[in-house]
Amino acid sequence: MLLPEHDFVKPATLAEGLAVLRDAPGDVRLLGGGTDVVFNMRCRLLTPDTLLSLKDLPELQGIAVLPDGSLQLGAACRLTDLVAATVLTERYPALVKAFRAVASRHVRNLATLGGNLCLDTRCWFTNQTKEWRDAKGPCLKTGKDVCHAIAGAPVCVALNNADSPPALIALEATVTLASSRGERRLGLQDFYREDGIRHTVLEPDEILTRVTIPPTTDRLVFLKETARQGMDFSYGAIAVRADGSGATASRLRIVLGSLTTAPRLLAGAAERLAVLGLGDDGLDAACATLRDELGPLTNLYSPAAYKRELARILLRKAVLELREMQA
Amino acid sequence: MSKPEDLSVIGRRQPRLDGFEKVSGRSVFTDDIVLPGMLHGRILRSPHARARIIRIDVSKARALPGVKAVVSNVDAPDMLFSEKQPLLAKGFVHYVGEEVAAVAATDPLIAEAALDLIEVEYEVLPAVTSLRRAQQLDAPQLHEWAAGNVALTHEKDFGDPDAAFAASDLVITDEFRSPVQHNTLAELHVALADFTNPDKLHVWTPTQGAPMYQMALAKAFGLETSQVRIVYGNVGGAFTGRGRAKPHHFIAALLSRVAGKPVKIKATGDEEFIMFRGSGETQYRFRTGVTRDGKIRALEADVTFDAGAHAEWAMILWLPAPYLNWLYKVDAVRYRGRFVYTSTVPKGSHHGGIFGRLSAGWMQHLNHVAEELGMDPAEFHRKNAIDPGHHALDGSDFASCGLKECIDRVVERSGWKAKYGKLPPYRGIGIGIGAQASGGKNAANDTSAAMIRVADDGVVTLYTGIPDMGQGSHTVMAMITAEVLGVEPEDIRIVGGDSDITPFDWGAFSQRGTFTTGNAVKLAAEDARAQLAGIVGPLLGVAATDLKFAHRRVWVRGETPDATGRSFSFREAIGKAFNGVQGLAIMGRGSFNSPRPSGSLAYSFGAQVAEVEVDPESGAVKVIKVTAAHDLGRALNPLAVEGQLDGQVFSGMSQVLYEECRMDGGQILNPSRLEYKLPRTYELPEVEYILVETIDPYGPFGAKEVGEGPIVVTMAAVANAVANAVGEMLPQIPMTPWRLLRVIRHRRNHGLAPAD
Repeated sequence: MLLPEHDFVKPATLAEGLAVLRDAPGDVRLLGGGTDVVFNMRCRLLTPDTLLSLKDLPELQGIAVLPDGSLQLGAACRLTDLVAATVLTERYPALVKAFRAVASRHVRNLATLGGNLCLDTRCWFTNQTKEWRDAKGPCLKTGKDVCHAIAGAPVCVALNNADSPPALIALEATVTLASSRGERRLGLQDFYREDGIRHTVLEPDEILTRVTIPPTTDRLVFLKETARQGMDFSYGAIAVRADGSGATASRLRIVLGSLTTAPRLLAGAAERLAVLGLGDDGLDAACATLRDELGPLTNLYSPAAYKRELARILLRKAVLELREMQA
Repeated sequence: MSKPEDLSVIGRRQPRLDGFEKVSGRSVFTDDIVLPGMLHGRILRSPHARARIIRIDVSKARALPGVKAVVSNVDAPDMLFSEKQPLLAKGFVHYVGEEVAAVAATDPLIAEAALDLIEVEYEVLPAVTSLRRAQQLDAPQLHEWAAGNVALTHEKDFGDPDAAFAASDLVITDEFRSPVQHNTLAELHVALADFTNPDKLHVWTPTQGAPMYQMALAKAFGLETSQVRIVYGNVGGAFTGRGRAKPHHFIAALLSRVAGKPVKIKATGDEEFIMFRGSGETQYRFRTGVTRDGKIRALEADVTFDAGAHAEWAMILWLPAPYLNWLYKVDAVRYRGRFVYTSTVPKGSHHGGIFGRLSAGWMQHLNHVAEELGMDPAEFHRKNAIDPGHHALDGSDFASCGLKECIDRVVERSGWKAKYGKLPPYRGIGIGIGAQASGGKNAANDTSAAMIRVADDGVVTLYTGIPDMGQGSHTVMAMITAEVLGVEPEDIRIVGGDSDITPFDWGAFSQRGTFTTGNAVKLAAEDARAQLAGIVGPLLGVAATDLKFAHRRVWVRGETPDATGRSFSFREAIGKAFNGVQGLAIMGRGSFNSPRPSGSLAYSFGAQVAEVEVDPESGAVKVIKVTAAHDLGRALNPLAVEGQLDGQVFSGMSQVLYEECRMDGGQILNPSRLEYKLPRTYELPEVEYILVETIDPYGPFGAKEVGEGPIVVTMAAVANAVANAVGEMLPQIPMTPWRLLRVIRHRRNHGLAPAD
């Protein structure tokens, strides 16, 4: 479980980093806090030629409120700093809850926002040591056309287990991706792909630099179901955002995390709740849409039947909590 | 807790003497030790659950610069790990992870690279990767000597079970299953072997006791036992997982012999789950016959164990037979057990031994019996519970027994009568009882020995082979020594964990530490005190037996501790001995062995009540409170006892609700602390401790074990509480959210209680 040999580059500026990314030979991996990448390297899931450290890049730092009221978070912000930021705790307590849900304080002291958003997908047939995988045989992600999780699956079905995306997607956050070609900005929900191997749209020459959250006075609830309190990836997580107050809402965004390969935006359930309200009728109708909206689920880490049940449980609990909140 | 006047140290809430060393990171563990010239060993393991080995070629690995030794079966063709199991795979591999070859190199990365250069050609054979499959008629036979894949059977009748069942008014049968579970030791498996001198093998490793390791390694390498030295300074947990040497101990020694250098092998995170030998899949069928008024006539248990690929740990097969006799006054007991081969890692047992997981099922079954009779389970257990002086059908004698007092006190303290059957839906309360032997004779002797040396400055050194694996045994041994010699625990230095230095001691398993080693230490201290008294008595003008030793003083019994001319400080007394005419250096020795031909001298008993809350929406269980009563004879160190109870409640709850190796084709899917879902301290419920002191006639100061008895009872109480909350016996542990949701939904769909 030792680290494979690699070069380590720590650029002073974003431009320098982007140039390394464009010009360095071989496989370059972006390194935030390293809590995911380093362990995957120990397991020989990643064997990059170069690690490009982003955590001290000045352009990726800081928490700022923009003139229009938007909140801008640097991708290299440590989760610990986000959890402690007054501007966040006052305005987005549920988002802070999501950041705090990540692993443990020790991990959050290292882990960055960008790292959590780019967290690789996970599968218990893949996220194992090399010896373990050699015994099982390679899979879609490790070089063969076999999926051990779902026989015949055409794409990798590994799970997106990151805690922060659901809440940020519910808040309609955007991410800014920089490359030596320029910069582009897209909604976080469009950042993710339903493919456990290329699970984001980040191009090989791009770096995620910042996250922008538009101003809102909507209610937001975040819930995470785990086997134990803390220090754990979730079995399932949900973020629900709604306008209005009490049982009335005209616009909702519901995002489920950890059950699928990309965070899942539930448009059908949101629409049912907007039409029928957050009362029991609306809730039942929303739950009834889940089966279709979720589609097939895997047995990774927990049984598919339980995942389906969990989606319903999380939605119910979140909406019940939302009902108690005023705008 | 009683603390008679004449005891000054025993019964005190004594913090661990090594606590500061531990929390400040100064304690040395095996992996901290680096010897000059030390090499790093790695093991090449089988990638197949079952295969024929066609060819092994190690030449490329051997040629890699930095590689100092490569071994495979040809280097030790006759070396066995267990009776029919070659140390390194010979011709066949029988599980994923089986040891095929090993390398030692100057650098861990070189060792890792060398593994990749070993070429092994396999012909894959059909494997059997579950206990269920192993027992099917068309299952492949895994070993030529084991028809039906049955490795061993054990059948035992006590009394006349057929007659007792026939005489019963009601006979109830239940089935239960427990999964593969890992001991999750804080300190991963590690061995450092130095075999550079062919006449002496030194092995540094965490262990529960040196003799078993010495004997096994000596046999394998053609040495006398004393030519093998085991050094085990600090041990990061054991939980039955370090009872015997494992393959990596032998392999490290073999590599060291070949390379002529010390070799360290330490487990990687997931290798730990291959080396572990924790508990395997187990199937249970319980049958109980009772009279209409609730008297148990006959008990029966039929247990099928997954042995894994090799029958390494057959002891767990016969342990349930006596255990079934220890709790209830019954007419007859029947045990049927079998050990079944599968193509998986060889198995042993987990914290709580076989008794914990057995109890999680058996106690649910017995509560089921009580409820069928319309009886309160607490009353049912009490009505049938044994009394002191009971002679059990298996020959066990219980000189002290506080079982009924334990039941009475947990029933009272937990508010059982106000809660049982009266809680709101999905709140549950459960009771369990259990017993545990303090040591036991499984060989010619069950001996522990101890030595004590008193220096001229009054410092007392205790030499003991009992390891401190976190349970605080060294602190308790210091307390016993201090009590006898009339000094303070802080005055005792412990020299332990080196088989070249410390006197014989089987070690810390079968709950023999406090009881057996404690008796040996007490004898050694009494021997030292008698020597000192022989000098001091005449100087004070009294018989040696008329002296009182306490508070670092020696004085004439019945007088004041500091009467002039009638007392000495302990240090003065030692000075009188050392600098007197005889120039006597005080050295005490003690050796203790049960006088019984077999079995144990003392048994502890316990009862616990657990309260849980099940979330019917998510299936999650919260353990709210555990009320734990344990008859431990005497609490030598109540602080340590409470720590034992906390730890065992935690681990017991964890095994019932959380722990499971999820298996796929003979591989563990969750071989890490992240995915093997242990709870955290946040999940530990409130624990109320009730220490029942029955003062056992054979125990040191009356003490019996508290090292495993409580977890057995916790597993029963928590399982019963969850069953009580959802309305029926749960046929399987761990009781995960998805398993509970299935039961809850099924009961709702069929209109069964609890209604909500």
